[in-house]
Amino acid sequence: MGLTQWLLRDLLWLCAIGCVVGVSAFTIFLYALYTSQNTNIPKWRSKHTPAHLLVVLGSGGHTAEMFSMLRRMKLDPSRYAYRTYVVSSGDNFSATKAVEFETQYLNHVQKATATDRKPAESYTIVTVPRARRVHQSFLTAPFSTLRSFWACLLVLRGQNADQKRLPSSMVSSYPDAILTNGPATAVCIILAARLLRLYNFIQGLIPFKSLGGEDLAPAHYQLRTIFIESWARVTTLSLSGKILLPFADRFLVQWPGLEGKRAWKGMRKTEYVGMLVD
Amino acid sequence: MAIQDQNRLMKLCFVTVGATASFHLLLQAILDDRFLAALHEANYTHLLVQYGKDSQALFEELLSKYPPGSPSRHSIEIDGFDFNHAGLDREMRLAQASLDEGRNGGLIISHAGSGSILGALRLGVPLVVVPNITLKDNHQVELARELQKQGYVIASGHQEVSVAVGRAETLRARMLAWPPVNGASQKRHRTLEQVMSDELGFLD
Repeated sequence: MGLTQWLLRDLLWLCAIGCVVGVSAFTIFLYALYTSQNTNIPKWRSKHTPAHLLVVLGSGGHTAEMFSMLRRMKLDPSRYAYRTYVVSSGDNFSATKAVEFETQYLNHVQKATATDRKPAESYTIVTVPRARRVHQSFLTAPFSTLRSFWACLLVLRGQNADQKRLPSSMVSSYPDAILTNGPATAVCIILAARLLRLYNFIQGLIPFKSLGGEDLAPAHYQLRTIFIESWARVTTLSLSGKILLPFADRFLVQWPGLEGKRAWKGMRKTEYVGMLVD
Repeated sequence: MAIQDQNRLMKLCFVTVGATASFHLLLQAILDDRFLAALHEANYTHLLVQYGKDSQALFEELLSKYPPGSPSRHSIEIDGFDFNHAGLDREMRLAQASLDEGRNGGLIISHAGSGSILGALRLGVPLVVVPNITLKDNHQVELARELQKQGYVIASGHQEVSVAVGRAETLRARMLAWPPVNGASQKRHRTLEQVMSDELGFLD
């Protein structure tokens, strides 16, 4: 009789400790999100430092909108000197559009500015497995989502099989900015980016480390995430948008009805920037 | 109208249902006596249909009801294809006026996918948007409604698509420039370039 009582008491203690640890971890997590969303990046990068831009592409409409925006903003290939395009497996349309954008638009711009670097060296297209196929069962979905998440982590660390060595002019070994307009892969990429930043931040707190590969940029200056809600969203956020609202560093919307939304009180509000597509 | 005398010129209506989902209701509504009559009435000569991967059988079955030369065909030239992986720019351009290539300005009828909407607006071709009501998460209805309110497109249900042909001629007469010119009210927004620059910490 004594034994069961002991066991019960131990279990209760374990539960209590678990709860306390869980709640404090959750609070720290929320606080980290809160401070991160309310901190602006100082102007630390000189104007001519080349940057690495990662663009997440998705099914037909998302990809078409993304390139429409990049053309309209006149993406400057001398500033965003290296570009990585992430496509989901089987999405040939997006890969084709990326090549088309690079060879027709950017190559043309580069010629005009008399840079004679070959375009093939300044971009890559990487493929990650899909998080969930259209008719996939919800039972296997968590596993494929994990696989997709892992692939995204590797891409951000430059370890995908399709990736080559970055040009030595890059400040960071990670992409400097991540731009997406909301396909499912975007959720994986942005969460993976935030996890890497958290990891690097914690690592930065520990003295006596430095295992080579020192980055010049502080952890939270890297992997900046910009989410642009699809132009097709007029009054409600997409599912990706709802999930990423507390995680993206900047959340841009293209219709006034979506302006000022936020994950919860105190968090950064969505910014209405007018129509970005053309 | 002057077009009446130019019956030799091609005038094409391009219908697209998109790549991802089938849209049988729209196919049924356009391969229909009323719709073909409306096209004929507005001097159309051609109807080109992008019917989607799994709808070839339906397209051919519907088409067989209107054999060439039959009165219900209204002498409209009809053709169709499943999808074009390189995009639909070339097909859309067939609806754009080009006197050199012997074409009057036509019409594009689209499921409400943003890619096809933007494509048509860029070309300056009148656009009728028919949201696919069979899809679950239908935010496209809002987009169609909003763009109609601003005067860029005609939003229509699939049942009323034959009426929309006539409405498209009114739209053609007062097409607005695309992309919208950013007015004074839009000046204060940060541009995408500025937002990216903020996040990267570029010095101004």
